[in-house]
Amino acid sequence: MNRQTAVAVPGMPVASLRRWLAPLAWLSLLLLLTAGMTHLEWLFRLIEPDTRQVIYRRAGFFTLLAQHVLVVGAASLLAVTLGVGAAVAVTRTAGRDFLPMVSQLASIGQTFPPVAVLALAVPALGFGTLPIIVALLLYGLLPIVRNTLAGIDGIDPEVREAARGMGMTAGQILRQVELPLAAPVILAGIRTSVTINIATAALGATVGASNLGDPIISGIVNGNTAYIVQGALLIGLLALCVDSTFDRMQRRPDA
Amino acid sequence: MGEGRQSPNWVLLSLMLAAVAAWLSLDAVSVAPNRIVPGTSHMALGVMAGWPAVLLALPMLAVVVLAWKPGRKELRLSLVAVVTLLALLPLWLSAATTVLVEPDMPQARVAIGRSLWLVLFLLLLATIELRTRLGLSRPLGWLLLVPMVSSWWLSLALWLEPLALLREYQARSDQFVSALLAHLILVGAAVGASLVLASLLALAMRRHAGIRRTGFAVLNFLQTIPSLALFGLLLAPLAWLGSRLDWLAAFGVSGIGWAPAFLALLGYSLLPMVRNIHVALEEVEPAVIESARGMGMSRRQVFLQVRLPLALPVVLEGIRITTVQAIGLTAVAALIGAGGLGTFIFQGLGQAAMDMVLLGALPIIVLALVADALFGSLSERLRPGGAA
Repeated sequence: MNRQTAVAVPGMPVASLRRWLAPLAWLSLLLLLTAGMTHLEWLFRLIEPDTRQVIYRRAGFFTLLAQHVLVVGAASLLAVTLGVGAAVAVTRTAGRDFLPMVSQLASIGQTFPPVAVLALAVPALGFGTLPIIVALLLYGLLPIVRNTLAGIDGIDPEVREAARGMGMTAGQILRQVELPLAAPVILAGIRTSVTINIATAALGATVGASNLGDPIISGIVNGNTAYIVQGALLIGLLALCVDSTFDRMQRRPDA
Repeated sequence: MGEGRQSPNWVLLSLMLAAVAAWLSLDAVSVAPNRIVPGTSHMALGVMAGWPAVLLALPMLAVVVLAWKPGRKELRLSLVAVVTLLALLPLWLSAATTVLVEPDMPQARVAIGRSLWLVLFLLLLATIELRTRLGLSRPLGWLLLVPMVSSWWLSLALWLEPLALLREYQARSDQFVSALLAHLILVGAAVGASLVLASLLALAMRRHAGIRRTGFAVLNFLQTIPSLALFGLLLAPLAWLGSRLDWLAAFGVSGIGWAPAFLALLGYSLLPMVRNIHVALEEVEPAVIESARGMGMSRRQVFLQVRLPLALPVVLEGIRITTVQAIGLTAVAALIGAGGLGTFIFQGLGQAAMDMVLLGALPIIVLALVADALFGSLSERLRPGGAA
């Protein structure tokens, strides 16, 4: 493990470009579809031949996509800050006592069904975007906390000892040894959390948060499958886009 | 750990300090004359001149002091205090209700406020912390909740008639029972069916690498479709099937209702279930299998008597994840007319009646927590060398 990090291969431009090909392809497909959804009317006409309107028009797809990304981004940012922060804090000597409580809390957070959290957050935060951010935050914490704990826990004690022997301070050990070594595992946790939340965010449409869940809800209410497909397609592409980005980030350039 | 004797238990200390702060500074109950008018909030200190609130705050502070030097005796005392407090909270609410609701308000509704929820949550966390520190077994941990549950039950039966949640329940108790049943049946059917299907799939995957690759790819793909969309996407095809095939329609298959909900739940449950069963069967150590063979066991015996028992805890873990997930997803299924407790959530959200939302959301959370604890302890118990 130690040696792998020592080998830092300078990124070659061509190879690195090829590395990001898949995420870029998904991203361009996503943007293309978002922009050109209205031109695909003939295609959706096949799904819903008898309906007057087959393209969701209450809001632009770009707006919906942007709001979806914003909600997931805000919730994920909060979850990463809180999750990694808490996990780092409880692995320090001063915070050791809180370790069982924090991992217990994180797992309780994932046991709470997001719909229930969403519904309960409404009276406190009102209808709209805030309740869905809270629900996503709570639901996404566990993978991040669990993986950060596992990542830091999995570091060979001798590595830490060696760093201390070299005269590193506790802060330096955390920043230069522990976090870099645990990074792949932490990243895997963030990936799980974000991917789940991209799909779960659609639920926000039930409490008035406008995002890619809107066409889906509208499709269910009006019995219009074309709307549902439009929402689901874009959410699926967004998930693939983010997931493949994480996939490339996790793979080291030299591997 | 020996060091526990000298250094304070910071977890317990901060939990109880937070509980005291929340208890004395936030609103504990609110009273509304009827269902429509918003209620007026009362702090715990504002009820009955505040002395019952202070009386409840004293044991909390006592635990803070005890947590400063947490020997075994102190921790035991703290546990007694916390369990007593949990049982006293509903009694306090009953007293507050009796005082605040005047006899000329027959429609009055009492809602539980922020401080009461927070204190309840913090005390439960303190119970978990104390249970772990004292090394009590899981069943004993469940017993610790008995005083609280019976106290709530007693209060609800005798004094808490104006509680908004209870009024909401009494207005539609039949509907509630049938929704609860529908919820449980849907979850049970989906998890059961996915267990059977996933076992078959996992066994096939062990034989053929091709099935394994495509199987996991398909299941992974299924997982990226938002639950909401999967429910919606199944509406049209099932409506079509139901209208074409009479025997399916006679069976209750139609665009809305249980059929699309069941299929979507099944689809979502398959991935975690297949993954866990596959991992469970793969992870049994080859040496163990080898020695079982060496003892003269047949292939079937090795599978049934060695591989399966060793794999069972991991399989149960899969059932736990799937069940908890299905309990939450079934709530969403209410949107496509599958019934279940989610009906109250979405109806309540539609009418902005938050007590009704609570009537749906609270049982769902309790169900999820109970399922989590039940399967968690079962898998722990079955683990070789696990808790006896």
